[in-house]
Amino acid sequence: MSARELILSALRQGNTATAAGEPNDAGAIAAAADALIADLSLGRPRLGEGSLPMLFERQITSPKVAASLDKAASLADVPRAVDIYLTTHGLAREIALQPEPALTAMDWSGYHLHEEVKSDTIVAVGKALWGIAETGTLVFHSGPHSPTLFDFFPLHHLVVIEASRILGYLEDYVAASMGQPVPRNVNFVTGASGTTDIEGTLVRGAHGPRFLHVILVEDS
Amino acid sequence: MTTASSAARSSAQASDPFSIPFDERIKEALDNKTLKIAIDRTTNNARDKRAAAVAAWPGFAEARTLGKSIKQHVIDHLDHYLVEFEANALRSGAKVHWASTSDEACAIVIDLCRKAGAKSVTRAKSMLGEEIGLPHALEDAGITRVETDLAEHIVQLAHDRPSHIIWPALHRTREEVAELFRANHHKPQNSDDIESMVASAREELRGRFLAADVGISGANFLIADSGAICTVTNEGNAELTTTIPRVHIVTAGIEKLVPSLSHAMVLLRLLVRSATGADLTQYTTFHCGPKRRGDRDGPEEFHIVLVDNGRTKMRNEGLADMLRCLRCGACMNHCVVFRQIGGHAYGGAYPGPMGSVMTPIFNGLEKSHDLPQACTLNGSCQEVCPVDIPLPTLLRGWREKSWREGLEPQIVRQSLGFWAFGARHPFLYHIGTRLAVRGMRLFAKGGWIRSLPLASGWTRHRDFPKPAPRTFMEEWNQQQRLKAKG
Ligand code: SF4
Repeated sequence: MSARELILSALRQGNTATAAGEPNDAGAIAAAADALIADLSLGRPRLGEGSLPMLFERQITSPKVAASLDKAASLADVPRAVDIYLTTHGLAREIALQPEPALTAMDWSGYHLHEEVKSDTIVAVGKALWGIAETGTLVFHSGPHSPTLFDFFPLHHLVVIEASRILGYLEDYVAASMGQPVPRNVNFVTGASGTTDIEGTLVRGAHGPRFLHVILVEDS
Repeated sequence: MTTASSAARSSAQASDPFSIPFDERIKEALDNKTLKIAIDRTTNNARDKRAAAVAAWPGFAEARTLGKSIKQHVIDHLDHYLVEFEANALRSGAKVHWASTSDEACAIVIDLCRKAGAKSVTRAKSMLGEEIGLPHALEDAGITRVETDLAEHIVQLAHDRPSHIIWPALHRTREEVAELFRANHHKPQNSDDIESMVASAREELRGRFLAADVGISGANFLIADSGAICTVTNEGNAELTTTIPRVHIVTAGIEKLVPSLSHAMVLLRLLVRSATGADLTQYTTFHCGPKRRGDRDGPEEFHIVLVDNGRTKMRNEGLADMLRCLRCGACMNHCVVFRQIGGHAYGGAYPGPMGSVMTPIFNGLEKSHDLPQACTLNGSCQEVCPVDIPLPTLLRGWREKSWREGLEPQIVRQSLGFWAFGARHPFLYHIGTRLAVRGMRLFAKGGWIRSLPLASGWTRHRDFPKPAPRTFMEEWNQQQRLKAKG
């Protein structure tokens, strides 16, 4: 017998021995699984009061997530917001720009742009697909416009997110992506890379970005 | 000569820690002056953060019950979910492999590495990898293994075994890590602050990420309805491990399944809060199949190795509850025994209460029957377990089985009550006194001794090691004073 058959047959033998009388057909199992999450509120903490962008901002800048956040009135104002960040941190106007049409369409004159992110990239600018207020999470789907390494190589990761893309709970992301093809990678980014591996002390920039900066676009 | 033999006698480094008797392993841990400090630094922090996270969520108890039900539902219908997961994973372009034993699992991984012509592989920390002995198997196959999790990197440099499932290098102080990095890194830190050390490791490992032919990760969840696997990390090393090399291999225990992404979200909240006190780790990634058309990065091959290694047996033979485990580490952070002796003394891949339940499965009861004895049955592990695993009950089960199978020495002693019992069991006594007030309170309520399975050989003496006599006497005197007052 193959390992697969061995494992499945052992499990099935166990089924008859333990789950006596319980319905075991696919439909009944699916119904039982659905019933478990019929009331989503049981499995999550309640969001506080306020608009979703407000809650998102509060969470992502809280000590728990510790990202920095700036606001831009519209997408057209993003290059200026990036410039403010670079100037504040004494960084050159040289960025790897995620090949996302909404970003590449912006006016980046005065910037030295790279289309690719490299392992020694200092600053990358990207755009998140969703934000999640509950956890202060930025969601990226891998794809031609969103290479995964943009989220992990740079030292400073600057992320644009539109206020209208902010969801409440983790499950709202599930609902929003329901019925769509599952991308190769769904990356939930909740703060800059960190480690507590040496004596429990938190240090940022373990392998991924040391700095996460969010540019919240209020009107899009 | 002396170096070699002392290395062989160190339970932190021994290739078969069970060759060293349990009492010697414990003595080694208790004699290590810095170990207790190192354990406290990390576990105290973890306990505080978990407590704050739980307090901040008034509905935590309900969510915990739900999490337990979700995992139990999956364990009850594991065959169904495995088949569903496999079909969806195949559809995503993944290759699915099945392994009944740890040897089979390692052989599959080695074979995939060879086929990929791999000289160097990066690994993102995976407890299952440790469980099946993958690090050794890779080395034996002559494949360069690069541990990328910072703690695993430290463990690899020190030739140690991991000592905690979340903080594998928890036994190393910052001074020791600084020394290791100075001796091994191409560009060691200039100063020994932790930030500079982390920066040095980041630089050291960057090149290794880029040079790897294969990346190997574990999985925190397998999502049945999409065939995706989920990794949870704080450092970002998992994604650098899985995205850069041409081949990504996932090794996962068959119990890691969840029906859907929504179910995974509930468990993620419980897992992360229980492990580190955060709401979510920095990086939670769902990996589904290999590189797609138009993708600029990602692996061309994506393999998932589904590993049994005793799990079907656990499910069918009374240890099904243990399969709910999320590997959060809370039970060990809260365990009075773990906090005294650390992880190495346990000998297996998994330490602490959950390790004491599982090690007899992986290493055999004969080698590990002492582990279920090293427990005060105070119940805090179950209390903090996010999926309510009845760890004390399962440990009692092992004790009884061990007694039935004649693995306990045939020395019958009567229990005369807590303190007399303690005097005869200096090790447990030592533990008891660290929590003297609490221990007495439990005893007063009858919880401690009464919950001992007297009929099952627990009081038939195990030779627990003695702590240093001075400490013992000091504590004994203190107990006498307490007793006089009480
Ligand atoms: S047994 Fe419970 S507390 Fe311990 S690691 Fe597993 S899930 Fe966490």
